[in-house]
Amino acid sequence: MDKIARIDMGAKGGPKVTVGGLGEYAGLGGRAMTSLVVAAEVHPLAHALGAENKLVISPGMLSGTTGSMTGRLSVGCKSPLTGTIKESNAGGQAAQVLARLGYAAVILEGKPEGDDLYKIVINKDGIKVIVDNSLKLLDNYPLVAKLRQEYGDKVAYMTIGSAGERKLLAASIACTDPELRPTRHCGRGGVGAVMGAKRVKAIILDDAECKMRPAKELDKFRDANRKFVEGLRKHPVTGEGLPAYGTNVLTNVLNEAGGYPTNNFKTGQFAGGSKISGEAQAELEIKRGGSATHGCHRGCVIQCSGIYNDAGGKYLTKQPEYETVWSHGGHCGISNLDAIAQMDYMDDNFGVDTIEMGVTIGVAMDAGLAEFGDEAGAIRLLEEVGKGTPLGCVLGSGAGITGKVFGVERVPVVKNQALPAYDPRAVQGIGVTYATTTQGADHTAGYAIATNILKVGGDVDPLKTEGQIELSRNLQIATAAIDSTGMCLFIAFAILDQPETFQALLDMLGSFYGVTMTGDDVVALGKKVLSAERDFNTRAGFTKHDDRLPRFFYTEPVAPHNVTFMMKDEELDEVFNW
Amino acid sequence: MENEFPSRLNLTLESDRLNLFFPLLQKGVTVPVTAGCTLKSLLCDQFAIPADYVTDRITTIFLNNHPVDDLDRAIVHDGSQVALSAAMPGLVGATMRRGGFYAALRQGISLISDSGAAAGECGTVRVKLFNLLLGELGPLVLAHGLILQRDELNELLQNIPGRSGDVPPGTNQLLLTVLFSE
Repeated sequence: MDKIARIDMGAKGGPKVTVGGLGEYAGLGGRAMTSLVVAAEVHPLAHALGAENKLVISPGMLSGTTGSMTGRLSVGCKSPLTGTIKESNAGGQAAQVLARLGYAAVILEGKPEGDDLYKIVINKDGIKVIVDNSLKLLDNYPLVAKLRQEYGDKVAYMTIGSAGERKLLAASIACTDPELRPTRHCGRGGVGAVMGAKRVKAIILDDAECKMRPAKELDKFRDANRKFVEGLRKHPVTGEGLPAYGTNVLTNVLNEAGGYPTNNFKTGQFAGGSKISGEAQAELEIKRGGSATHGCHRGCVIQCSGIYNDAGGKYLTKQPEYETVWSHGGHCGISNLDAIAQMDYMDDNFGVDTIEMGVTIGVAMDAGLAEFGDEAGAIRLLEEVGKGTPLGCVLGSGAGITGKVFGVERVPVVKNQALPAYDPRAVQGIGVTYATTTQGADHTAGYAIATNILKVGGDVDPLKTEGQIELSRNLQIATAAIDSTGMCLFIAFAILDQPETFQALLDMLGSFYGVTMTGDDVVALGKKVLSAERDFNTRAGFTKHDDRLPRFFYTEPVAPHNVTFMMKDEELDEVFNW
Repeated sequence: MENEFPSRLNLTLESDRLNLFFPLLQKGVTVPVTAGCTLKSLLCDQFAIPADYVTDRITTIFLNNHPVDDLDRAIVHDGSQVALSAAMPGLVGATMRRGGFYAALRQGISLISDSGAAAGECGTVRVKLFNLLLGELGPLVLAHGLILQRDELNELLQNIPGRSGDVPPGTNQLLLTVLFSE
């Protein structure tokens, strides 16, 4: 990956493509690339849907190689939903293909005049930006089907649905999986709206005649990759639990812990939890001829995805993830897997963030637009988003705006981004991350850890309260680094428990680039990324007062444990004190 | 303990019928136990789960909705609820892990250990099994015996061909044991 492409969508005379070297961004990938570019080149007070914003698309440092698990793509910009810097990522094939085409980043800049819609084709011969108004308002599934007729089945597609074209703040960017379904989404923060604002409907990535990226030390790389894969396969989470049940395996456990936000964060347990558990879902999928074990990109050995068929055995959607099953399920009082699966399909098709959309529906239920538990009502509200009605545009702009429009007091957002599927009153430490991350409420921002970097900042007693600040800090640093590698975040579980597997990852990175990587290097990279993001947010006007949870978490105890969020403001302000 | 249950039903089923019990095991089943013991004793002594399996495989345990870190200091009383799970993904999954490094993140809901066990007494415990443990521990729990109400048993037996008539007449509650043949 030795080049960066800049596509000025607003250039005089039509979109202009410039391809250049990496310059100051050499050695970066994934979140490191997107955040450092945005922090350096986007005015922090820019309107997120305006010409000054940039959409930075970057594969990870190991994407496009023969390394396992390297299919994660990062997309960065100033978020129209949160107003902060944003990095949103997805699996699928796009990262692998873009990396093999040699692009460390593709940056969409500017904004065209007029109403034309564009598609961008990237292959070994270069980049073409083509007007195609026949794609207007197509949703992702029919859009990809149409594009396949022209560009075939050996490419990767990045698309926005009608939600992105309408610039809805919950709009996502879809990446196709190996079967060319638009099911892997850069979901959070409205990145689809930024792509839509730049009038780009689709990016077609064709790596025909391109080779895998070669490692500098090939034998060492192969050896490290082998050990890495062994580590993933032998770990009970990555080798057994996730392949068997997918991420929805968490439903029963979170429900048991009393940390499963139910009926818009009113309680921590859902009576219908076992009906929509990963166990129930896997059994149903297999019974209907689907699958509970599927990889979202080539090179994945964890295979945590799956195929969900309807009662007639026909494809309905990809296996819904834990966050989707929660946001459209327990959060809305719904315990019907088929209804949830239908809404998962609609999220993918319209191109909206499944977390934001589900939380929004729950807020809408609190506003009286439907009853909790009303599956048909929830589907009806989501259909409004797909139709682009005035109500749909409100809902499609996320939980914060929906709450304001309808006068709802209980709105679970931080920096206007909806909370994910873990109640911060039951799991106080995740609340620290929700409150303080640069991304808005985000459970994956402080997600990964490696045993040999846990000593950063000194020893931590895991049973002491003050340990939570330290842990959240360490987790956010490590995650920022892992997000830059292109590795699927779920490698974190094996890395957590098996120091030899973390070492194998370091050896993969080192042998690929011909350097020696240590845990300290990982920490340094993570801190660099987070510092840039924090600086951008500060310049955008965010202060420590934005690093807080909504008030009701501090005042309303959640059953069954009857706890509130207890972390003090001064403690939250310590997370980034390096 | 057996004298408490004049009504009993013993079933022997083929091993591929185990998954018929999965929904029930996830929701929770009431089992007869000698209460007032440690959680370690319940699992290893009463359910006969090997100690190294408990250590290596049952990495996430809840007692009355509280994540457990020390099995020797968690006391199971009559009416307790025990949920058993294999290792969970995600940061929050790792947070719930027994004795895990991230236990601090769930401070406020972790089990505060009891000081001592009462003398053994007959009682019941509600047991839930999740994910990989459904298949691995389901047979042990079913062999130990479940206390079911009549309507629960009827519903269960309707899913087993040829078994719907097995409920003894006049029974409101009984002890069901299930063995599986290869």
